[in-house]
Amino acid sequence: MSESRQVVPAQRAWMTLVLKAGTPLVSAILAMGVGSLIMWVSGYDPAAAFAALFKGSFGGPKQFGETILRATPLILAGLAVGYGFRAGLFNIGAEGQLMMGGLLAAWLGVEMAGLPSAVTVPVLLIGSALAGAAWAFIPAILKARIGAHEVITTMMFSHIARFLVQWLVNGPIKAPGQTPQTAPLGLSGQLPRIPTLFSESTLEALPFLGLGRAHTGILVALLAAVAVWLVLKYTTLGYENRAVGYSPWASETAGISVQWTTVKALCISGALAGLAGAVEVMGVHHRVFDQFSAGVGFTGIAVALLAKNHPLGIIAAAMLFGALQAGSGTMQLEAGVPQKIILIIQALVIFFVAAEQIVMWFIRKRQKEAISGAE
Amino acid sequence: MLSDVITPDLFAAALRIATPLALAAIGGTICERSGIVNIALEGIMLFGAFFGTATVLATGSPWLGVIVAVLAGVIVSAIHATASINLRTDQVVSGTAINLLALGVTGFLMELWYGHPGTTEPIRTLQPVFHFTASGEGVLNEIWRWINGVFLSHTPIVYATIVIALATHWAMYHTRWGLRLRALGEHPRAVETAGVSVARGRWVAVLMSGALGGLAGANLSIEQVGVFQENFTNGRGFIALAANIFGRWTPIGSYLASLLFGFADALQIKLQPFRDVVDIPPQFFYMLPYVLTVVVVAGVMGRAIGPAAVGVPYEKE
Repeated sequence: MSESRQVVPAQRAWMTLVLKAGTPLVSAILAMGVGSLIMWVSGYDPAAAFAALFKGSFGGPKQFGETILRATPLILAGLAVGYGFRAGLFNIGAEGQLMMGGLLAAWLGVEMAGLPSAVTVPVLLIGSALAGAAWAFIPAILKARIGAHEVITTMMFSHIARFLVQWLVNGPIKAPGQTPQTAPLGLSGQLPRIPTLFSESTLEALPFLGLGRAHTGILVALLAAVAVWLVLKYTTLGYENRAVGYSPWASETAGISVQWTTVKALCISGALAGLAGAVEVMGVHHRVFDQFSAGVGFTGIAVALLAKNHPLGIIAAAMLFGALQAGSGTMQLEAGVPQKIILIIQALVIFFVAAEQIVMWFIRKRQKEAISGAE
Repeated sequence: MLSDVITPDLFAAALRIATPLALAAIGGTICERSGIVNIALEGIMLFGAFFGTATVLATGSPWLGVIVAVLAGVIVSAIHATASINLRTDQVVSGTAINLLALGVTGFLMELWYGHPGTTEPIRTLQPVFHFTASGEGVLNEIWRWINGVFLSHTPIVYATIVIALATHWAMYHTRWGLRLRALGEHPRAVETAGVSVARGRWVAVLMSGALGGLAGANLSIEQVGVFQENFTNGRGFIALAANIFGRWTPIGSYLASLLFGFADALQIKLQPFRDVVDIPPQFFYMLPYVLTVVVVAGVMGRAIGPAAVGVPYEKE
């Protein structure tokens, strides 16, 4: 993952800034534009589709709660992929680490059912992060020691995790009954829904707090985003991570261990993905079943790219994709458009963000000309 | 038990399962030799499989389906070529977008054209090329039974793949195109200096890999399964890239590495009926190709060196 890094003359700096914040927005709008075109060609009414989409995602506090619910794991998955990208690593297998995190939360949550929440919730979150990190550890070592490409290894580990979960929920940790799934978490391990935190009278006075299924996992996600932002900006760990991402060769010369940084970066990425699995299990499903991860890890890639790997930008990007997912049901119901259109729009977003580099390249070329002209 | 497992069937299945992997792996070889990483092969296969199946459903002609699948692969790979050669986007990112697009578009069109997600109606498939009998007794008949079963029981694309592997391997080392292709991935500047367009050479390579990926998709849907299922490439594009690495970026090497994967998969399918005897959950069998891929990539990496300029966008001076 290469990003454009060039010393920008002061008078042009503002232009780069506008591009930085502006192009993701333009990319998202373009992607939805092309998405509309596809709907129109397919005989659907794009205006009705987007109206329904908006209604389903922002139409009221309950709908907005659904958007928050979907955005919660996407923030964490986006952070996972983004943190790897910042070190020049493409953790395409975040989905697998997410599954392992969720799996651990589901197992521990049942085992710790009797304990107080104040103990259970942190233990589950930390355990899930460790499980995610552990699942990223072998690809990390293989990358650092012998250069085995993480795109292939993490992807393969993702497939392996899928079958591991499938096996476990069908056998060793299957709950009694017909459905292949685990027993529900004890109450102590569940993340409460936001409306349940307030009394009836408060909810009546402040109806916007009636956020439906949205749960306190969003706080975990927001805290993680701020933490990753601080780590990248102010700590040695973050500095080394970015330095290796910019130039492994220069980092090595400067005395940074590229191998060790690579291992740390992929494991932290895996830990964040593990947390994404934890909030899904603790806040939404309360158990694990086959394919409970539902592609969140892959959507995390689109989230990170749209946010250009900026931790705070990832919150906004996750809200956008969360809204698309939350509203897609209403869209299918009211405008008849298949929900798969959301996947197409995500792919288009990635394209347009990536193609933005041609704009940056053009500007840099202009700058070069301006500099050589001045000399 | 051994005589139940080691049968002509097992080896025939290995050849069959290796075919889509080998086609994609050779596509990956050609593409990476030109300096372009193509993780979009997964999506290209899916596009090929879908449009191939859709064509057979519409026209009833499997051969027309194969042609459309190849064309679909070429068209989709043109997106990858534009992005990674002309726009100089990150090649892995462009590939990821295409893979996601493939899932979205094929799923969307499933519902639009056939009214439901999941699996299409069964289609007319391509039949085996030869039909020999093998029923006699005795040693010679037994040998014939093996030859017939392992080598003469296949559908056209299985044979075409062997020809493609040999032909591309020969072309890569004995033609001007091959020399330029290899130079493109090692030292594009030298190629440009010699007066040959880097962009054009890479475009041709990416489109070729698209055609092979489309053909791989056609083999999956029109020869092997006889339907299209959502996401039924199931990581094969990535396994193919591992096969390409294991085959040290050569077409014949890619083919042989794919055979190894094919054999492992064929073996796990053959062993499944004996689950009661050895008591291993089926999921562990399903994991096998993916574990093998990691082992192969880990074991070969470091000793096998890929093209020097792979993944680096080329900028004219």
